[in-house]
Amino acid sequence: MSGKCEIKEVLGLAARLAAGGVFIYAGFLKASAPAEEFAYAIESYRVLPAALTLPAALAVPWLELYLGVFLTAGIFIRQSAFCVIAMLLGFEGLLLQALVRGLPVTSCGCFGASGSNSLGHEFVQNLAFLALAALALKYGGKFSLDSLIDAHE
Amino acid sequence: MPERNTARKIFIALLLVFAATLTTLLCRQFSVGPARSSPAFRAFGPETAKIRIYEYTDFACPHCRLTDAHVNKMLELYKGSVRLDFKHYPLTSIHPWSFTAAAYADCAGGQGKFREYADLLFEGQEQWARSKDKPREFTEYARRLKLDMPALEKCAEDPVTLRRIRLDSAEGDLRGVDATPTFFINGKRAVGANQLLEQVKKFDNLLKQN
Repeated sequence: MSGKCEIKEVLGLAARLAAGGVFIYAGFLKASAPAEEFAYAIESYRVLPAALTLPAALAVPWLELYLGVFLTAGIFIRQSAFCVIAMLLGFEGLLLQALVRGLPVTSCGCFGASGSNSLGHEFVQNLAFLALAALALKYGGKFSLDSLIDAHE
Repeated sequence: MPERNTARKIFIALLLVFAATLTTLLCRQFSVGPARSSPAFRAFGPETAKIRIYEYTDFACPHCRLTDAHVNKMLELYKGSVRLDFKHYPLTSIHPWSFTAAAYADCAGGQGKFREYADLLFEGQEQWARSKDKPREFTEYARRLKLDMPALEKCAEDPVTLRRIRLDSAEGDLRGVDATPTFFINGKRAVGANQLLEQVKKFDNLLKQN
């Protein structure tokens, strides 16, 4: 029984680090590039009004970066994992509507300008990230700052 | 006790936010982040070259015109060892036609004549740069190079073309470019011809090292 539990915890830790790492990577790439670049990617989804694309492009990368850092460090794991899942669901919604509408999205904007796969590929990839975030939410408490602080009574 | 733990967590979270922000901003400042490649028509030299240069230039800037000859010589001399990505950085507040010039140059590039068109823009800079109305030179140069005029005119107003130039400019802002021409040579900044030539002097050693 305890062996099973350990495997879950190890998987949860790995998932937490992987999901956090992906968010740090995606956030850093976009935050260190011109916001206009990501804004153009957002525009191509034709969901937000033009006036909101630049503010969104300025805010989202930093949010991704901070959530990634929180998840990796294991602080506020539940809240961070919830936010990561919510963001990923939002991205999935954007990708899906672009796929359904047949929009000519040449760069998904997922990882800045460092190349982009097809929308379908990105959709499936995000499903994998969603699974990682869910695992992190459920079993990602091992070796976290949360557990360290909570143990320090 | 739970309140105390929450306060501790908030404090650590704020520290992490501060550290992440500072690291990212420093990476921006020192150009550690990835740089976008220029379109193929204004990227010169092999992608695998040991010396990678990003050049931010304004066609209406006199220093850029003077430096252009050095850049061409350098590319000739270090052919195969240098990769140069040409980036637009039109200083529109002082050069009202430099953005349009960049658009025409890119569209000439789309027809395979970027370098030739850029050379003509630099040569004739004094004629067109201070023009009050849209300079006739832009179409004259295109005719001289036997470019497809209707396609060129259409392309010069195409949002995709304009967007590409704006992105170059925004990228330059992010890397702290505030004068033209500015070069990033393997990450090291050089502003103007003299600083470029100082860096070029080190190329032989750099190539020997690697």
